[in-house]
Amino acid sequence: MILLQSNSRFLLQTLMNRVQNLEKGVELDYNWFEFDDVRYHIQVTMKNPHILLLSVSLPIPPPETIFLGGLPFGAIEAIKAAYGTLVQILDPPRDGFNLTLKINLSKLPTNQDQRYALLLKVASVREVVLGAPLRVILKNLAKRTVAPDLSPLVALVHRPNESFFLVPQADKVTVVYPMRFNDSIDIVLATSFLQEFVEARRTGGLYNAPSCTWSLSPPEELKEAPAHALSANAGFVTFVILPRHIEGQKLDRTAWNLSTFHAYVSYHVKCSEGFMHTRMRRRVESLIQALDRAKPDFEDSKITSQARSFKRMSLKDSKSRNNSIS
Amino acid sequence: MASTLRLYLTCIRNTLEAAMCLQNFPCQEVERHNKPEVELKTSPELLLNPVLICRNEAEKCLIETSINSLRISLKVKQADELENILTKKFLRFLSMRAEAFQVLRRKPVQGYDISFLITNYHCEEMQKHKLIDFIVQFMEDIDKEISELKMSANTRGRLVATEFLKQFI
Repeated sequence: MILLQSNSRFLLQTLMNRVQNLEKGVELDYNWFEFDDVRYHIQVTMKNPHILLLSVSLPIPPPETIFLGGLPFGAIEAIKAAYGTLVQILDPPRDGFNLTLKINLSKLPTNQDQRYALLLKVASVREVVLGAPLRVILKNLAKRTVAPDLSPLVALVHRPNESFFLVPQADKVTVVYPMRFNDSIDIVLATSFLQEFVEARRTGGLYNAPSCTWSLSPPEELKEAPAHALSANAGFVTFVILPRHIEGQKLDRTAWNLSTFHAYVSYHVKCSEGFMHTRMRRRVESLIQALDRAKPDFEDSKITSQARSFKRMSLKDSKSRNNSIS
Repeated sequence: MASTLRLYLTCIRNTLEAAMCLQNFPCQEVERHNKPEVELKTSPELLLNPVLICRNEAEKCLIETSINSLRISLKVKQADELENILTKKFLRFLSMRAEAFQVLRRKPVQGYDISFLITNYHCEEMQKHKLIDFIVQFMEDIDKEISELKMSANTRGRLVATEFLKQFI
């Protein structure tokens, strides 16, 4: 898996499982995390087996982001548009969460394909909620306008206490990510990965991709940003999104990719660290073998084990030998 | 490039061959103790002159000899930050497994990346020329491994970036 899927696999599985055994009154109470920033909680009680409560806790927003009632702007409209009557937003949400959805499973469509599509949409709740403000801005770009009430520099949360920035203009949207990592190895690997983004964009076949730049110092666009957002230990990545990147179907995919850029890079940094570990383990084994070769008894044991095998003579051999003797 | 590496390794091999003539030597200060003199450095008469072999400023090898022990310290080249991190990670990984390697020192000598400590006991239970083979192979392997690790990290980065950018087309 190279690209991240927009649906939470575990959530989808849980939902499918629930839908298939709707009559069985099972109690569910699951808590889990995704990408180290979003927390989910799902609850089903014995009393109402067809009512499912799904709570989502978003990363803590830094002060510069716009949050309305604990949700990014445009999120409530996006939820209503995506789920329709299937879902009811509970107010206030569950303690410690930003959003609680009451999902009525008896209202699911009977058609298998439609039902799966809707469940898939529920499993992508992260995309719907966190991607909502991004989609609003990108939709304006598709119409080649700028929403009048928007500030020239929009901050959107993507990690706890961290945000990325958008500069919406009529003909393009500039997206700037201050990249931060905790571990020194992560920083170095991520830095080299990010430089590869710039390199990859230059090579053939990707001329139509958004132009991408990476720099250690904050770019021009972040002049107005608050000071705490300008410290990034793995540099700043800038993408320029043009209207052709959000035509039709591409809008959802673009919004998802932009809102999980940090998770994507971080996931691959961790993967390559895991790969290195496997490699190093193998190398240690081969080096120990090389050292063992220096021990004389190691060689002896090899020879004796070979010497122990006998050559079994077949009947034919013994006959031919007899013939030669006679 | 390859030929300078071979010269460097040959030089180290020859020096080691000359230096590795260790004998059992009990401690002079404490009765019934037997310690590697190169580590303690209590009696100067038991130490030989250390030899420093340099390929360039970043890559060098220090060979310190005494009557009953020998210490080899290596500094591995680190061209950029990625190589630096990979070297550190890899050599730390090896040092943590020093138990399995017997001749590996748990901590490198200051200023170096990794150290070996060979005592007369090691020489008794292992064949000397093969032990030298091991040290030289170790040095070759480290260089190879680090450049391969770096390459794989870069290849992965490129692949990851390309796949991400393809999403927008």
